[in-house]
Amino acid sequence: MFIVVLSLIELEINMIRDITIGQYYQTESVIHKLDSRVKIIATLVYIISLFCFNNFSGYILAALFFLCIVKLSKVPFKFIVKGLKPIMFMLIFTAALNLLWTPGEHILFEAGVIVITLEGIKKMAFMALRLIFLIIGSSLMTLTTTPNQLTDAIEHLLRLLNYIKVPVHEVAMMMSIALRFIPILIEETDKIMKAQLARGADFESGNIIHRIKSMIPILIPLFVSAARRANDLALAMDSRCYHGGRGRTKMKPLKYKSCDFIAYFILLCYIVLLIIIRKFVPF
Amino acid sequence: MKPFIIAKDLVHEYSRRDEDGNVTDIKRALDGIDMEVSAGDFIAVLGANGSGKSTFAKHLNALLTPTEGTLLVDGMDTSDHDNDLDVRCVAGMVFQNPDNQIISNVVEEDVGFGPENMGVPTEKIWERVEESLKNVGMYKYRKMSPNHLSGGQKQRVAIAGVMAMRPKCIILDEPTAMLDPVGRRAVIDTVTELNKKENITVILITHYMEEVTGADYVFVMNDGKVSMQGTPRQIFARSEELKEYRLTIPEVTKIALHLRKMGIELPKDILNEEELVKALIELKNF
Repeated sequence: MFIVVLSLIELEINMIRDITIGQYYQTESVIHKLDSRVKIIATLVYIISLFCFNNFSGYILAALFFLCIVKLSKVPFKFIVKGLKPIMFMLIFTAALNLLWTPGEHILFEAGVIVITLEGIKKMAFMALRLIFLIIGSSLMTLTTTPNQLTDAIEHLLRLLNYIKVPVHEVAMMMSIALRFIPILIEETDKIMKAQLARGADFESGNIIHRIKSMIPILIPLFVSAARRANDLALAMDSRCYHGGRGRTKMKPLKYKSCDFIAYFILLCYIVLLIIIRKFVPF
Repeated sequence: MKPFIIAKDLVHEYSRRDEDGNVTDIKRALDGIDMEVSAGDFIAVLGANGSGKSTFAKHLNALLTPTEGTLLVDGMDTSDHDNDLDVRCVAGMVFQNPDNQIISNVVEEDVGFGPENMGVPTEKIWERVEESLKNVGMYKYRKMSPNHLSGGQKQRVAIAGVMAMRPKCIILDEPTAMLDPVGRRAVIDTVTELNKKENITVILITHYMEEVTGADYVFVMNDGKVSMQGTPRQIFARSEELKEYRLTIPEVTKIALHLRKMGIELPKDILNEEELVKALIELKNF
């Protein structure tokens, strides 16, 4: 039993070690090469656009646009759909709520409190489509952009906040350091768990409160070690002349290339098409 | 020529304060250190746990400042905080734990971190990163995540990160303490090569006697003081004294010593296997 638990943890840890946050999919494609700022802005625009449609032709446009980009990105479709798994429950739940509790004139089915209307079906379909596109749209972004590029882009996009004294550079630096230490801390957790298991700790049995309590012997050493690491890292950064964002140059500065402008242009075309469809296509 | 590092009566005290800020406990970690290091030397600082050697290392990098006495690094007084960045650019530091000193998720970006902070232009950063990664033999791993490297490799990346700042001196604070023997060897070889080829001053802080054999000069620290100094040969010949300072001489020297005690005429200062073998062969030929 003990051995089985240990080997299960081992397996999990090995999997976690290889997963980068956001699950970057390594391949060479036009989308991967795009400037990360373009990808963030495009994803935001795309998500907002999803909430602007009130007819099916709009969703057909959104789907077509999305499929073209997936094709360009060379990321296998099943990878993108995987992102839907964690929200499956929420998806079904919202869809069911919309289906059952939308009042309307065209009643299709009625049994007690349950009333299914034509409007309900329409609303359910819209809601589900929005959620699905929202999730797979943003996961396509994280699949084609490394976490480092993302933090760089966020730092750059939010730099205006510097004027109202928001420490943008520091926050971005913290984010990238956090990303670096996630796998290390996971490994550490694994070590501590094994050490506690070896001393007879039991994380498996008992009710939920008991189990949460049994996490304390893992969490305290983990926090202590994280604080120690933070202290070491601060010294190491100091000794390498880190003194905040002032006077700092970039090894990999963000620079727009011609393909980035083309991407912005395509995005603009998408917005224009969207407006046309909303105005002139009736269904 | 003026020495690169001059320490004069260097004292450092750690004080523990209670909630009201009153000093409750003072520990003297450095107690009057006098030391001179000339540029281009390979210096080893030996000492058991708690001898103050890490505190001394942090002073060389201006991470700590002297309580009393002075420390000049390349002519700059470290107690003046305006000099902090300049001192750190001249004397880079490598720490014990390889994981806790790598900042970035990609090897090359980590090596570029120091130059970025110093405000080096982008193209120059790339040149420096490439050069220093090649110098430590880690160039082919430049795109990898540090999480997938071994301890010794990570430590070499950390050395490259310091080298990319083009310092005149590298201080290594027990760089091998958390490594396996293979990683240990690789790190020491890398440092030795940097010292020979690039003429970088090296200050290696350690408690492994084996790592000291290649040094030009050795300081032994005990209780915050420099208790012995000399070339590795002179130091190893005084094995009884070393024992007092909770340091053990390398296996080979120990064997030679025992053989001497048994009446075999061997020199007192044997450092490595080759020397021992040579000395034994010479004995046989007599």
